[in-house]
Amino acid sequence: MMMMLLMQELESVFEQVEFIAIAAIVIILAFLALEHKDIVYAVFFFGMMASVVAGFFLLLEAPFVAGMQIAVYTGGITALIIFGVLLIPRAQDSSLEILQDPKMRKVGLVLSSLVAILSAFAALLFPWAESFPADRPDISQSLEGLAQWLWASHGVYVQIIAIIIFTTLVGAMVLVRMEKEEHLSPFVEDFNPPFAEVAETGPPEGKPVHEIVAVDAEVDDE
Amino acid sequence: MIPLSWYLVVAFVLIGMGAYGMMVKRNLIRIIISAEIMGNGVSIALIATALFSPVFTFTGQALVILVIAVSAAHTALGVVIMLLYNRRYNTVDLGLAVSAKEEATA
Repeated sequence: MMMMLLMQELESVFEQVEFIAIAAIVIILAFLALEHKDIVYAVFFFGMMASVVAGFFLLLEAPFVAGMQIAVYTGGITALIIFGVLLIPRAQDSSLEILQDPKMRKVGLVLSSLVAILSAFAALLFPWAESFPADRPDISQSLEGLAQWLWASHGVYVQIIAIIIFTTLVGAMVLVRMEKEEHLSPFVEDFNPPFAEVAETGPPEGKPVHEIVAVDAEVDDE
Repeated sequence: MIPLSWYLVVAFVLIGMGAYGMMVKRNLIRIIISAEIMGNGVSIALIATALFSPVFTFTGQALVILVIAVSAAHTALGVVIMLLYNRRYNTVDLGLAVSAKEEATA
């Protein structure tokens, strides 16, 4: 009996250590994905973060969702973003990481921290134990129940999502095939002349567009 | 068993980090990554709530499966919009177009 209690206690402690380790790794990787100067490394860190989040799903007894998270996020979305980066060499321009107005960074940091901290405090203080009864059903490893919910009783949601994905992908393909002269040129007139000129001709080699626009604006002021 | 509040704290921290990236970053790729980080936070919150709630049993897991599918589609759309933006303006700097438009309307 004592041995059983000890084993349960050990299991609980091990689970908590697991949770804390996964949470720390996820938060560090998310920070690196946002702040690493090299965009390719940032995308790589995002992919790793998505894989580690699957660890949370395993802890939460959702192995199918964990597998799907790794397959779609790490295998699909991360690869898609990396292909996007490869197609756009200017995406790796380090001048993009320098904010024109440093105040914006502080305001963003304060606002997002406020949202996260207040929500986290609300989650910690709320009496969850009283809200949910202790005798919850055992759903561990129950793929059958999930399939029943998803395909038998709520199949219409799957169909709606399929239509949304189909529409999105058709829209994406149509957008890619749009020729800029035919469809996008009217929008250029909304911008100021130096920007429009740069947009038409493209920047010279090795110089970011915003620097050219800034120089042109200064010349206009003079 | 880990308490639900622990999972929700991690979820809200991820949502906050994603919101920070969306508010502060100028690079379109960073903005897409920020949206995905927020999506991951929401997924953790949904699955955790599903495990602890008797009426929400499979709903949370099923919702997260649908959320993952939709987020793949919206990332594809985001990358396409980024390619078009780059084709038009030769940059992926979102701040440039916004500031230029503000100057034009002022």
